[in-house]
Amino acid sequence: MTLSRSQKRGLVGASLLALVLILIGTIATYFGSKYQLRIVYGSYVSLMVVLALQVFMGNARITNLSHSAFMGIGAYAAAICVTPIAMKKISLPSAPWGLNAFALDPVTSGVIAIAITAIIALLIGLILVRLSGIGATIVSLAVLVIVHSLFLYRTDIFKGNQAFFGIPQVFTLTSAIIIAVIMVYVVRGFKESRWGIALRASADDEISAAAMGVNVHRLRLLAWVLSCVLLAVAGIAYSYYLGTISARPFYFNHVFLTLAMLILGGMRTVTGAVLGTFIISFGLEWVRWLETGPTILGQKFPEVLGLSGVVLGSVIVLIMALRPGGIMGDREIEDFILKNTE
Amino acid sequence: MEFVAQQIMNALSFGAEYALLALGLAIVFSIMGLVNFAHGEIIAVGGYTMVAMAALSLNNPLIVVGAAILAAAIGAVTLERVAFRPVRYADPTTGLLTAFGVSIVLQNLFLLLVSPRPIAVTSLYFLEWPIPFVGLRISSLQLFETITTIIVIVVMMLFLKRTVLGLAMRAAALDFEMVRLTGIKANRVFAAAFLISGLLAGIACVFIMARRGSVDPHLGFDPVLMAFVACVVGGFGSLPGAVIGGFLLGAIEVAMLVLLPQSLGGMTEAFVFGSIALLLIWRPDGILTPPREKGDKQ
Amino acid sequence: MLVVQNLNVFHGPIEAVHGISFTVKEGSCVSLLGPNGAGKTSTISAITGVAKSTGRIMFADEDISTLPVEIRIRKGIAVSPEGRRVFANLSVKENLRLGGAYNTANVDRLIAEWFETFPILAERRDQMAGTLSGGEQQMLAIARALMSEPRILLLDEPSLGLAPKIVTQIFEMIKRLKEKRMTILLVEQNATLALRLSDHAYLLNNGLIVADGTAETFGSNDALMAELTGLA
Repeated sequence: MTLSRSQKRGLVGASLLALVLILIGTIATYFGSKYQLRIVYGSYVSLMVVLALQVFMGNARITNLSHSAFMGIGAYAAAICVTPIAMKKISLPSAPWGLNAFALDPVTSGVIAIAITAIIALLIGLILVRLSGIGATIVSLAVLVIVHSLFLYRTDIFKGNQAFFGIPQVFTLTSAIIIAVIMVYVVRGFKESRWGIALRASADDEISAAAMGVNVHRLRLLAWVLSCVLLAVAGIAYSYYLGTISARPFYFNHVFLTLAMLILGGMRTVTGAVLGTFIISFGLEWVRWLETGPTILGQKFPEVLGLSGVVLGSVIVLIMALRPGGIMGDREIEDFILKNTE
Repeated sequence: MEFVAQQIMNALSFGAEYALLALGLAIVFSIMGLVNFAHGEIIAVGGYTMVAMAALSLNNPLIVVGAAILAAAIGAVTLERVAFRPVRYADPTTGLLTAFGVSIVLQNLFLLLVSPRPIAVTSLYFLEWPIPFVGLRISSLQLFETITTIIVIVVMMLFLKRTVLGLAMRAAALDFEMVRLTGIKANRVFAAAFLISGLLAGIACVFIMARRGSVDPHLGFDPVLMAFVACVVGGFGSLPGAVIGGFLLGAIEVAMLVLLPQSLGGMTEAFVFGSIALLLIWRPDGILTPPREKGDKQ
Repeated sequence: MLVVQNLNVFHGPIEAVHGISFTVKEGSCVSLLGPNGAGKTSTISAITGVAKSTGRIMFADEDISTLPVEIRIRKGIAVSPEGRRVFANLSVKENLRLGGAYNTANVDRLIAEWFETFPILAERRDQMAGTLSGGEQQMLAIARALMSEPRILLLDEPSLGLAPKIVTQIFEMIKRLKEKRMTILLVEQNATLALRLSDHAYLLNNGLIVADGTAETFGSNDALMAELTGLA
């Protein structure tokens, strides 16, 4: 297999990002407190979501608002499969279709969860990819609302806003790092693949791309399903570490948070996705600390609930006004060290 | 009979609320391609103004209503100046994300500066009383809402047909640069669009508050979500489409409430959104598509 | 009336016009001639402020080159743009009303006058402008520009895509305007027609003025005319 020039550069870029991810993860593993580990784990899950989002938004250039729903589908599907029968008898006493009468190992559960998410994504995708711009965004919004309503309504399966507990905690930070690193290669690989290139070209000029024989709908569908599969993985990683999930984290707040991460870094590049995720994850943690009214240098500061939201929203507004392409714009990490030769 | 009449009234008043909000979204979108997700926070501004009025012991209903509408209008115009001017000529995605950002900032400011909990507003209770109508009892609030919305739509049609600024706003939906080339100031057109959308949000706010009786930071979120859908149904950017979409959505919602069995009560929203998604597959650009360039050359 | 000095016009990063200078005297008709892509429309866009430019644009002894579009128009510049750009979703009458947006006192009188000049527009006064034929749209575009009673009229390619008979009609009208001593800057590819009306003409190619002179000097220069008509 021969790689093109941009694919070689992509490989270098992805390896550099992988190095950064491993470095941050290793430092956290050896020096972090239990609480800090949880935060770092959370940011790696966010990173998976943002990378998944980048596959669709960055290449097809359509704003997606349903990603948290697909993460939720993956998380719940895996949780229902993997949770021990004894636990489910307590938490889901009235579950239909014998959902509380079986339990599988984590790997099989994960595969089933990914398959279920992919099938749902494919069905929705068949509709969604035919719409353009705002139309596609509104359908994605409808998907988010419908899925959330289902989570809330079928309390016998999903427990709604109550905690779905008892999921085996089989993942550690190391697992999250490994998954995130693999995802970086997958996402960058898709971007530089001939599908990714054709999709980006069609986003710039749909008519010319179609005239050159690019099947825009099929490419969008491919990116969409890949994106949703990666979201399912993020959802599984989320539930396998925390052991408890509920419907609330898979709704609007999470949608905005991860969207902000992607657009801060720059949705056109994988490097932007990584950068934006870490800036906002760690930045927000610091703001949340301010929010609780800490004592700094003997000075007691008041509690300011909502500060993190104000900061998050302001970041989005400022980025859009000053640098709509995000921090990275069209540049990937390797552009800083490799020479730009045509 | 009484049941049917009551449901028709419900559908009309739901529809009226969505139509008012959808019109506000559509007028801004038609001119600058901005999907203004912060519209809901403008409604909340109106609601918190009512709280402030009560705190100042200004309980005259006319003052409370007037102040709320005025505050919403000022709020909308301020947003245009502060947040949306830099993305004025940007692509719709940039505008949409900016509006999301503004919405998050405002919601959290309410939370930070006022309270995360709902605050009761009692000054509008007087709007609600049963009216006997040929042997039926109709809610006065629903009647007011429907009538007010019809009046507002007529006034807006007159404005868009008869005044130079109204003509300019219609023309700007097609060719903003050409409007500037007739000497009409771009800033005035943008400000007018936001002023109108703010006034409409303010009027909708009065009815939402009269029905709910309290305000919290998320007051406007659900209504604007529905209005957003109404816009899409009607054809984004089309003003008649926004009105039709609003009333259609009201009818669908009431139909779902009536027809769905009690056990599926929690799923109303999902069914409404689902039927809208189906409608979009059938007509991807909505019922009425906005006018497009018909001239010879772009 | 209009003095342009050392004008460079940009479309994004691309420079379309490189340091041209020309003058339009009050009451005269000046034409900018040249092939497609010569920079004629860019020059018009720079004068109205729609396109970014450097250099000096003096209008009625005032430097307008830093003013926003609307203010320049209000100083007495009117434009009938390339491709006509009538407001397709507005009626003929509404188009005219918008043209006179800041000349409200005279709007009704002027509309009546235009309906007299172009009976076809009167007939279609309540029809959407988008449903008019190309020639009718061109008449409407010129009438809309003149609703503000401007001091200078910028006419961009009024003959573009129109049947010869209609073109003759449009140029008849421009001739009448000239007789009323309206100052006109005319952009045309059809050099023969334009020169018939012009007091002075400039030939643009690749963003530079390659020749200028009175209509007579252009007309007597056979080589130049051969090139011009070949271009047209």
